[in-house]
Amino acid sequence: MALILTDEEQALADSVRKFVADRSPLTSLRQLIASGEPYDAQVWKQMTAQLGLAGLTIPEEYGGVGAGKSAMSIALAELGAGLVASPLLASVLAAEVLLRLDDEAAKTELLPRIAGGELIATLAVASGAGGHVSAAAAGDGSATLTGSVSPVLNGAEAGVLLVPVTGADGGTVIYLVDGGAAGLTRTRLTAVDHSRSLARIALAGTPARALTGDGAAALAAATDLANLALAAESAGAMKACLDMTSDYARIRVAFGQPIGAFQAVKHRLADMEKSWELGYAAVRDAARAGDADPGRFGVAASVARVLLSGSYADATVDTVQLHGGIGFTWEHDAHLYYKNGLSNKVLLGAPGEQLDRLADSLGI
Amino acid sequence: MTDDFRARARAWLAANAPRRAASDDEAEVQTRGQAAVLAEQKAFQAKLFDAGFAGITWPLAYGGQGLTSAEQIAWSQEAAAYDLPTGAFFIGISMPGNTLVELGTEEQKKRYLPKMLSGEEIWCQLFSEPGAGSDVASLQTTAVRDGDEWVLNGQKVWTSGAQYSDYGAIIARTDPAKPKHNGISMFIVDMHAPGVTVRPLKVATGHSPFNEVFFDNVRIPAANLIGEVNKGWDAAVVMLRHERIAIGTMGGSRTNPLAYDSLRDLAAGLGRTSDQGVRRELAELYARGRAMQLFALLLREETQAGRLPGARGSVAKLAGSELGRFAGNVAADVLGDQIAGFDEAELAAVTTAIIAAPGSAIAGGTSEIQRNIIGERVLGLAKDPGVDRATPFSQLRVGTQRQN
Repeated sequence: MALILTDEEQALADSVRKFVADRSPLTSLRQLIASGEPYDAQVWKQMTAQLGLAGLTIPEEYGGVGAGKSAMSIALAELGAGLVASPLLASVLAAEVLLRLDDEAAKTELLPRIAGGELIATLAVASGAGGHVSAAAAGDGSATLTGSVSPVLNGAEAGVLLVPVTGADGGTVIYLVDGGAAGLTRTRLTAVDHSRSLARIALAGTPARALTGDGAAALAAATDLANLALAAESAGAMKACLDMTSDYARIRVAFGQPIGAFQAVKHRLADMEKSWELGYAAVRDAARAGDADPGRFGVAASVARVLLSGSYADATVDTVQLHGGIGFTWEHDAHLYYKNGLSNKVLLGAPGEQLDRLADSLGI
Repeated sequence: MTDDFRARARAWLAANAPRRAASDDEAEVQTRGQAAVLAEQKAFQAKLFDAGFAGITWPLAYGGQGLTSAEQIAWSQEAAAYDLPTGAFFIGISMPGNTLVELGTEEQKKRYLPKMLSGEEIWCQLFSEPGAGSDVASLQTTAVRDGDEWVLNGQKVWTSGAQYSDYGAIIARTDPAKPKHNGISMFIVDMHAPGVTVRPLKVATGHSPFNEVFFDNVRIPAANLIGEVNKGWDAAVVMLRHERIAIGTMGGSRTNPLAYDSLRDLAAGLGRTSDQGVRRELAELYARGRAMQLFALLLREETQAGRLPGARGSVAKLAGSELGRFAGNVAADVLGDQIAGFDEAELAAVTTAIIAAPGSAIAGGTSEIQRNIIGERVLGLAKDPGVDRATPFSQLRVGTQRQN
């Protein structure tokens, strides 16, 4: 169970990197910011129809590619490096919830469309003060939901939403809500990270269908996968910051020499390299465990996330700092990563919650 | 092939690896005495050699097993479940040993490597001096040619294992008229030769894991030169590279008092695991420790795939020192006010480890030097200006030359 990439994985990384460079360079993100669109529909179509990225973790029997979590993490690292705006993370997490439930009707109906990119699905879950939803049964597995959740990944664009509700008995049920359901209000939020689209979901007696299966287990599996996915994206983006800043330290001259010759600059970059190497190794371990050693996956994914939440966010600040004044301008890309780092650090579990969850998993 | 080797290693370890109360050599020495610990280690290394598990990647002609890094990885993984009593040989084999494999003459390799592996001869490494630490190229120990011999004079410091070593790899100045990096040579020195004096060096923990070594007209045969005359810096860089990789990838011993398992048990014993801050610190310690193991594994896999780690050994060294420092802080937080005053019998090991933690960021090249190496050789940043690089050593105002 090696950490280094197989030839197949390297080929996937290369093809996604080329796709990002050709079809979604950082200039595209700036166009999106100007247009206000959540993502580029053409790019999404190519990511899904052409590259099959939304189906990487979905088995072939449900219309996916069945390549697994390692492949997903490799693709996300490349997309993260290029800050590609897309609903991929939302779809991957929603698909994981469906796969972990035993609602065959929902799987057969939804997963092939998610894999193909025609349907955007999202998991309406937030941690901490992100809201609360309650359900009132209406018979036949249907119910009405009332409450709110925020922030929800691609909540405004999703065709279906999966809404977990914890009942009075402590059990968790996942409800399926149609994007056009009555009493559903979706408000796009101002996302600190320009590459994410986030929304507040308000439900007022909104009709929903209860999905059969262990909701709590499905939610836990999605959280583990979110840890790997966000860690992988962050590792890719952190490498981009490291490369960009090292390049600059080699060419920018001050006091008669390249600034990288000064230890105040060199040592910060060395620390960034060190943190990236450690985080990358942890991402690879979690990716492998996800496919080959599921019993270890939760802890391995938590380890990767805990490491990268802090170190990527720190690296983005150092990227701004080491570029000096130019790094703080709107025109420079450093702030795009800085904002991505702020957001990746807290989405689906802020650092304190991440550590608490790891401590629980370790039995501390 | 590797599976057969792994199965053989596992069976041999299960039958032969001794169970030890403490993995830390220093703690062993404190309780059982140097002579007893050394005798046990020599006997175990001999068994290891006879069973075919010493020098796994070294050539057969020099006592090695002539196998690949795949077998080395398999061995490391199997041996990780034990604390093998091989501490006295760690430096010799991984640093002077690996350097001789790369740079030694045929005669040197045949004469010294087999006895290193069999536990018959112990080696140390003599680089640092009182006036030459991070800037080790400004060393002042001299070796002057006299017929078929070199005459060595000077002082080395921070030498692990010098008190029981048979041989040492030493760097000395052989041409002070050249700039500092260009007038150094590396030699094999007999630690039992007349004129060699070893004195223990007491450190902040109160223990003496290192030595000062004095050389007073010590005669070295010319055949003991490692590499070429005045090319000793190149040889030193080779050895330091082996040192960083060895230190960075050696993995924590199972009974390290600052390891996650130890501190979790300590916290549980003190009733501290209900404290959210302590829980979070322990979880982070687990994550950081795990990342170190995984990075070491990644480096080994890359080596096996033909991609040498090169200067990335410095990443492992730096990360290991920082992990030690973080673990020391976690341990102190777990102990709370108990660290201020403690029962020697209960908490001596963990408090000594806390006091020792900053030392790992100095030994084997400071963290600042590692950051220079990472910046320059991994990231390709401009070299440190090094204003004295072109000046003849004899004109530098370093060490005792400052008074000239």
